[in-house]
Amino acid sequence: MKFRDMISMSFANLFHRRVRTVLTVMGVVIGTCAIIVMLSLGFGMRQSMEDLMKSMGDLTVITVYGSGSDSSEGLDDSALKDLRKLPEAAAITPVYFLDSSCVAVNCRKYQFQGMIYGVAMDTLEKFGYEAETGSLPESDFKNTDILFGSQSAYSFCDTSRKSNNYVEPIPNKNGELPKPFVDLTKNRFTLSVNLPEDSTARNKEEKLRVLGTLKEDFSRNPSPSSCIFMDYAYAKELREKYNKLNKVKGSSDFYDQIILKMNSIDVVPEAVQKITDLGYQSYSMESQRNEVEKQLRTVQLILGGLGAISLLVAALGITNTMVMSIYERTREIGIIKVLGCVVWNIRAMFLMEAGAIGFLGGAAGIGISYGISAFLNSLAAQMSASGGGGIFAMGGKISIIPIWLIFGSIAFSTLIGIISGILPANRAMKISALTAIKQE
Amino acid sequence: MNIISIRDIRKVYHIGTEKVVALGRISLSVAQGEICCILGTSGSGKSTLLNIMAGLERPSRGNVVIGGTDVTRYNEKQWALFRQKNIGFIFQSYDLLPTMTALENVAMPLAFRGMDKEIRTRKAVKMLRAVRLGNRMLHRPTQMSGGQQQRVGIARAFVARPRLIFADEPTGNLDSKTGREVMELMVSMARKYRETLIIVTHDPEIAKYAGRVIKIHDGSKISDERNTEAMGTKEES
Ligand SMILES: Nc1ncnc2c1ncn2[C@@H]1O[C@H](COP(=O)(O)OP(=O)(O)O)[C@@H](O)[C@H]1O
Ligand SMILES: [Mg+2]
Repeated sequence: MKFRDMISMSFANLFHRRVRTVLTVMGVVIGTCAIIVMLSLGFGMRQSMEDLMKSMGDLTVITVYGSGSDSSEGLDDSALKDLRKLPEAAAITPVYFLDSSCVAVNCRKYQFQGMIYGVAMDTLEKFGYEAETGSLPESDFKNTDILFGSQSAYSFCDTSRKSNNYVEPIPNKNGELPKPFVDLTKNRFTLSVNLPEDSTARNKEEKLRVLGTLKEDFSRNPSPSSCIFMDYAYAKELREKYNKLNKVKGSSDFYDQIILKMNSIDVVPEAVQKITDLGYQSYSMESQRNEVEKQLRTVQLILGGLGAISLLVAALGITNTMVMSIYERTREIGIIKVLGCVVWNIRAMFLMEAGAIGFLGGAAGIGISYGISAFLNSLAAQMSASGGGGIFAMGGKISIIPIWLIFGSIAFSTLIGIISGILPANRAMKISALTAIKQE
Repeated sequence: MNIISIRDIRKVYHIGTEKVVALGRISLSVAQGEICCILGTSGSGKSTLLNIMAGLERPSRGNVVIGGTDVTRYNEKQWALFRQKNIGFIFQSYDLLPTMTALENVAMPLAFRGMDKEIRTRKAVKMLRAVRLGNRMLHRPTQMSGGQQQRVGIARAFVARPRLIFADEPTGNLDSKTGREVMELMVSMARKYRETLIIVTHDPEIAKYAGRVIKIHDGSKISDERNTEAMGTKEES
């Protein structure tokens, strides 16, 4: 028997019992919708998580902390040398923290109160920092070359006053920010190491050269906001000087962090492993993301499972319909056997019928799922516009149907149909022509 | 030449411990082109005999030879393929498929053989015209009378030009007038296409159309007579 003839016979049967066919197909539609919508919610969740992660930090960056109770212990120049050997690193910089108790950066009577970060100045560009004014340093820069963060102008304190000595960066009614005390690009700034309070010696002041200011970017660490970036070796030198002048015991050799920028996300887990093997603790958005991903996968599995249950019910529906159909058609099946239809053709026709129910249900289910998905997304958009919605609706979609899911679910529902048809088809195949035609 | 011959066929049904002998030793041969009627009362074993000859049932003992081939030990698959080519069937309750038109029903046995739709439709159209249903081709079984349905059934049995056509009580569901019409049609078709026709009936009136009448009673052959004055023969000559 020709394939085409089997198909047309199967469809004639489905059409002949169209009410039942439609009802059975509807079961599959509901099952398919349940799976697709559930999975699409999972994909939506994943997407918003990923977007959230990206806004929180660079996935290719690894931050290394020292081991031991004092977290900076161990991150000295030899550690830096060790870490520089990692082949997949595109850039590497130590971060040396220096605060305003240690050094004073002044502009007339105004004093800087933010953090000073000692970094490898020539790596900033590779780490993705961008200049708002001026430019990032290239290879030749001096110790006294610095970069300001975007908000640093508001971190200057008027030392002549006891109170109200800051300008807060709060916009007025017209949305304009108040003018800060200093102009980062035009004013002159000096730096001096703080002396003990009882010291009579005079502060030696160094003139600083401002290379520029950095663009605000909270996904970077250290974030270029209310701070100064300078060369790490110079920062270390300043600390050393301070320790000597103030008779502070302790070493100034240890960096607070060493930050690595990797060539791609893929090499991050491997590099993290190597860093752990070297005995350092590290943190990366990538490993965070892996954790979240694991949890998301569980959530998705649960959602998919819920959908699968309804498809299972639909599968039982298909089996039931086909078995019923066989009872009704026992005599018919006997007749076509007597007329020379071979058994595997009979089986194939039943499988086709069951498969067609699955296919039709899957196809209709996809259409309806798209509708449901669009509805959910518009609902989420409304909610996020009115301020609610939480992490599911950060302006994005809560339900995403990828292309592969369309083909996947059609193939899956067809397969489910065929599987549900196996038992009835085998039964139809085994019907004895003789008993069938003796039956009235 | 004998198209079919059966030898020493015996059929015993076992119901629990009880034995029902449906057929005692029956032997008979039918020649090519013969129109043969198996006549007997209800329960005499006619259907059992026919089903054994058509491979729907296995005999307890004996052999069936069709066209020189011993088909007794054929399995279900072999029988199906054999029936596709060699055997046509006419049923008491017509048994057309309700999902199909008259034309599709007639073409169906050809579809089972894998014949192209175009060719089989042409053959089916020709057959439907031969049974005078040229104007009912696209009707479904529910849109036709019993007599018309049985004529479609006849066309379906003849369309593949098999070597043997079996009919079990072909007029059993028809009134006597329509029954006579159907019998005349069937017999004239068989003569026209030189088909071998084996009809099972309990009705002696029907037997008058056959060229040979085999009477059976309680599973045994009691007579085998030629009927030189078979009805319908005159029309042909
Ligand atoms: N499947 C069966 N099981 C048991 N007995 C059967 C079966 N089929 C037929 N018989 C018996 O065999 C005998 C012949 O039946 P059948 O060939 O149908 O008779 P007919 O067609 O001449 O009316 C009857 O006595 C019937 O009861
Ligand atoms: Mg009978």
